[in-house]
Amino acid sequence: MAEQPLEADEVAGEVPPELAEMFEPADAPTQNTPQRSGAGGPVVLKDRYMLDTATPLSEFDSPSAKAYLVEDRRDLGQKLFALICSPEIPTRLTTIRKHKEEQVAGRLDLIDWDVIYWPPLGQRTMAIIFERPMGGRVLHRLARKETKITEYDVPRKLAEPLASILQKMSSAEGPHRAIRPENIFFRDEDMTELIIGENVSSPPGFDQPTIFEPIERAMADPAGRGTGGARDDIFALGVTIGILVLGHNPVAKVKDEDLILARLEQGSYAVIFGNSRIPLPLLEPLRGMLNDDPVARWDYNEISNWLTGQRTNAAKKKPVHKAELPFPFRGKEYTSSRALAQHFAQKIPDAVKAASDGAFEVWLKRSLNQEEMASAVNGLIQNAKFHKDGYQGQDDYVVANLCMILDPAGPIRYKGASFMPDGFGPMAASQILHNDDAQLVGEVLSHDMTSAWFNHQSPAFPGTSELRANFSTLKGFLAIKEIGYGVERVLYEINPSLPCHSPLIANDYVLLIDHILSSLNAAAGSADTNQRPMDRHIAAFIAARFDQDIHPHLKALGSDARDTSIVGLLSLFAFLQWKLREQQLLGLSSWVGGLLGPAINSYHNRITRGDIEKEIPRLVRKGSLPELFDLVDNAERRKEDRDGYAEARAEWLAAEEEVQDIEGAGDERITKAERAGQQAAAVIAIVITLTVVTVLLILQTW
Amino acid sequence: MARAATKTPAKGPSVTFWLWAGGLVALWGIVSPSSLLIISLGMLPALVAYFCDRTEQKYALFCVGGLNFCGVFPFLLKLSDDHSFSAAMNIMSNVFSLAIIFAAAGFGWMMFISIPPVVSSFLTVLAEGRVKTLKVIQKKIVDEWGSSVSSADESAASTAPLTDEPDDGGGAPPTG
Repeated sequence: MAEQPLEADEVAGEVPPELAEMFEPADAPTQNTPQRSGAGGPVVLKDRYMLDTATPLSEFDSPSAKAYLVEDRRDLGQKLFALICSPEIPTRLTTIRKHKEEQVAGRLDLIDWDVIYWPPLGQRTMAIIFERPMGGRVLHRLARKETKITEYDVPRKLAEPLASILQKMSSAEGPHRAIRPENIFFRDEDMTELIIGENVSSPPGFDQPTIFEPIERAMADPAGRGTGGARDDIFALGVTIGILVLGHNPVAKVKDEDLILARLEQGSYAVIFGNSRIPLPLLEPLRGMLNDDPVARWDYNEISNWLTGQRTNAAKKKPVHKAELPFPFRGKEYTSSRALAQHFAQKIPDAVKAASDGAFEVWLKRSLNQEEMASAVNGLIQNAKFHKDGYQGQDDYVVANLCMILDPAGPIRYKGASFMPDGFGPMAASQILHNDDAQLVGEVLSHDMTSAWFNHQSPAFPGTSELRANFSTLKGFLAIKEIGYGVERVLYEINPSLPCHSPLIANDYVLLIDHILSSLNAAAGSADTNQRPMDRHIAAFIAARFDQDIHPHLKALGSDARDTSIVGLLSLFAFLQWKLREQQLLGLSSWVGGLLGPAINSYHNRITRGDIEKEIPRLVRKGSLPELFDLVDNAERRKEDRDGYAEARAEWLAAEEEVQDIEGAGDERITKAERAGQQAAAVIAIVITLTVVTVLLILQTW
Repeated sequence: MARAATKTPAKGPSVTFWLWAGGLVALWGIVSPSSLLIISLGMLPALVAYFCDRTEQKYALFCVGGLNFCGVFPFLLKLSDDHSFSAAMNIMSNVFSLAIIFAAAGFGWMMFISIPPVVSSFLTVLAEGRVKTLKVIQKKIVDEWGSSVSSADESAASTAPLTDEPDDGGGAPPTG
C-alpha cells in the first residue's frame, strides 16, 4: 500500500496463500535465524549499536522500511533489530522522540534512532532500533498453526491489551494509525504477551491497506490519509480483531476500488464481515468499531464497557442514503452521492458535463431527495460559468467542490490527488518530491480548497480552528516568491520529519538543522564550487527548522544584486555556525570564500579590497564563517568605506570643477588675464606716481 | 530694501556735482590760474585715456593718468618760485616741457599695453600647472576608489549597507 514500498522478500512457502496475499509485504521466513546476504559490513550507530548490513531480518520488515540485525556493544545479550527507513518517505519524528522518551508497555520498545550512512542504499537515511519481539508476528504464528485465537480469547488476550495500549498512546503521542494484523507481535517465545508494532517509519496510515482505514480516509491517497484520531485506530482494531478471529481476510481478493464502492453503498461492516461467520459475541463490538459514522463509532469507553461486561450502546447503524433511481455515469449506475463523488473525481471532464446537465439536479432533488445538495451544485455550476476565465471556472476546481458537496466527509479530491486536511503534509511531500507537481500543492492553498472543505463539515472536523490557522500561515508563505519561502517553505513547515531535498545534500538525509552546515561542508569536496551552496530547498529548510529570526538574512539572500545576495548567504551561514556552535567548517568556508568576489568588489576602496582578499585565505583555513562575515561585511569598515568614498567623490568633483573652470573658460580666461594685466599696470603706474611725487617733494623741500 | 532695489541706476555725475566741480575749478582759477593752466593742458593725455578706456574699472586712466601726472608734477613744483600766469605759459610753451609731460604719458600708455600680455602669459602658465596638479589628484582618487568615483551617477556614492545592521535577534554573529 505504500507509495514506494521497499522490495518485499519472497513469501515463505509455509504461510497459506490466502494469508500471504492479504498484506504487503506478505513475507516471512519460517525462522528468526538471520540470513547472510553479503550486502556490506557493519555500521555503527551512536558508537554503541552495530547494524549489520549483511544480515536482513525480513520477518521484522515494515512496508516502508527494511529490518536488519543490530548488536548492542554494551549488552550483547539484548536482541535488537533496526528499521532502515526509505529516504523518500517522511517518518514520524515527533512520535519517535516521544516514544523514546516515554516507553509504554505493550508495544515494540524503541531503543534509539539516528541518521546513518547505509551502504546498501548508498546514502544516509534514518535507522530506528527496536527490541526484537521474540514471539514474532502473530499472523505468522497463526498461519503456522502454532497458536490460535478463538472468540473466547478475543476480549482478554487480544482486545484488552491492544485497546489499552492504543488508548495510552492516543493520549500521550496521538493515534497509532498502523494497526493491522501484520503489525501485531508476540513479545515472548511462549506467545503470552501481545505487543503492537511500529508506526514511525512512514506517515500516519501510509502503510495501511485500505480495509483498515475508515471509509473517508480509505478513499484518500496513502500519503494523504492524515493523522486521524483515536476512532480511526478503533476502526483498524475492529478489522484486525475480525481478521485474526476468522483467520483470513474475507475480502482479500476484492480490488480496492470495488471494495471502496461497496463500502460506500453498503457500509464497511456489511462489506468486510457481512458474509463471514463472525462469532455472535463479537458481532456487536465489531459493528460498533466498524461504524462508518465516526461520531457513532465506538470509543475506548465503549470498548472498556464491553470488556468489563457492562452494558454497551447498540451500534446505531446509520443507513446509507440511497437514491430511488440510480444515476448513470460512464456506463455504471450509482445510487449514492458519495460513490458518485468518488468516481467524479476520477473522470473530471465527464463529471463537469454530468453535473452541468439538468438531469443531475433533478436526480439529486427527486431521486436522492437532497434539495440542499441540488441547490449547492446548481450554485457551483452557475459560479463556474460566471468565473469561466478564473480558476473558479476550471473543471478541476469545479469537480473538487462538487465532490465536497456530494461527499462532505470524504477527502479533498483535486486534480487526481485526494487527501484529508490533516494529511496535507505527506501528500504535499509526495506530490512535490515524487510527482514533481508543486503546482497542485500551491493551488490547493491559493484556492483555499481546505477552507471550502471545512465549511462543508457538520459536525466540525476535529481540530478545525488549528488547521485553518496553519493553512492560513502556509498560504502566506506560498504567496511570497522569494528564496526561503514559496512552495518549498510550505513543504518543510508542514513536514517536520522531512529531510532537506536540495540536490546538494539530498544523499545526506539532513533531518535536523544542526546537520545542515556539516553536510554542506562535506558536499564542498564533490560539488561544483562555482555554484552557490544554496538553493530554494536549503533556504526553506533553514527557515522552517531554525528557531531564530532569519528574515533579514533571507531578504539579503534574495536580493537581485549579486554582492548583497552573496553577503546574505554568508551572513546566514555565519549566523547558523555561531548559534549552532559548529566547529571548523573548512570546506564550506573555502567554498563560500571563493564566491565572495562580488561582495569584496562592493567596497569602493581598492586598498580595502586588497586587504580583504589577502585576509580571506587565513580565515578560510580557520573554517570560521562568522569571522569571514566580519571581514567581508564589517559595519565599521563598510561605514568608513562609504564615508571615504563620499569624501573622495566630493574631492574629485571639486578638482574637476576647478579644472573645468580653468580649461573650459576659453576667451573668458584670456579676458580675465588681460584685466589682471591692466590692473597690474594701473597699480604699477600709481606706485611709480606716488614714488616720483614723494621723491620730488622731498627734493623740493631740501 | 525693495524700494532701493527699484531705484533707477545712476546715469553718472549729477548736475549738483558738475555745479560743485565748476565752482571749485572757478575758485582754483581765481586762486592759482597758473597751476590750473599746467594741469589742464598737461593732463590732456589722461583725459584722452579716460575717454578711450570704455571699461568700468578705467585702468587706462589710472595707468596713463598716473605717469602723466609724474610728468606734470615737476613743472607744478616750479611754480612755487614764480606763481605767475606768464611763468605757467612759459612752461607750457616750452617744447622740452611738453615733451617730458607727453613722454611720461606715453610711457603710461606703453605700460598699459605691454604689461597685460606678460601677466596673462604668466597666469596661463600658473593655470596649466594647477590643472596638472588637479589631474594627478584625480588620478590618485580614481586609482584608490575606482572609476565610479568619477561617475556622474550619485547613487554609487549612496550605496546602502549590504546587510542590515546587526541586532540581538537575527543580526550578524560576533566574531572571534
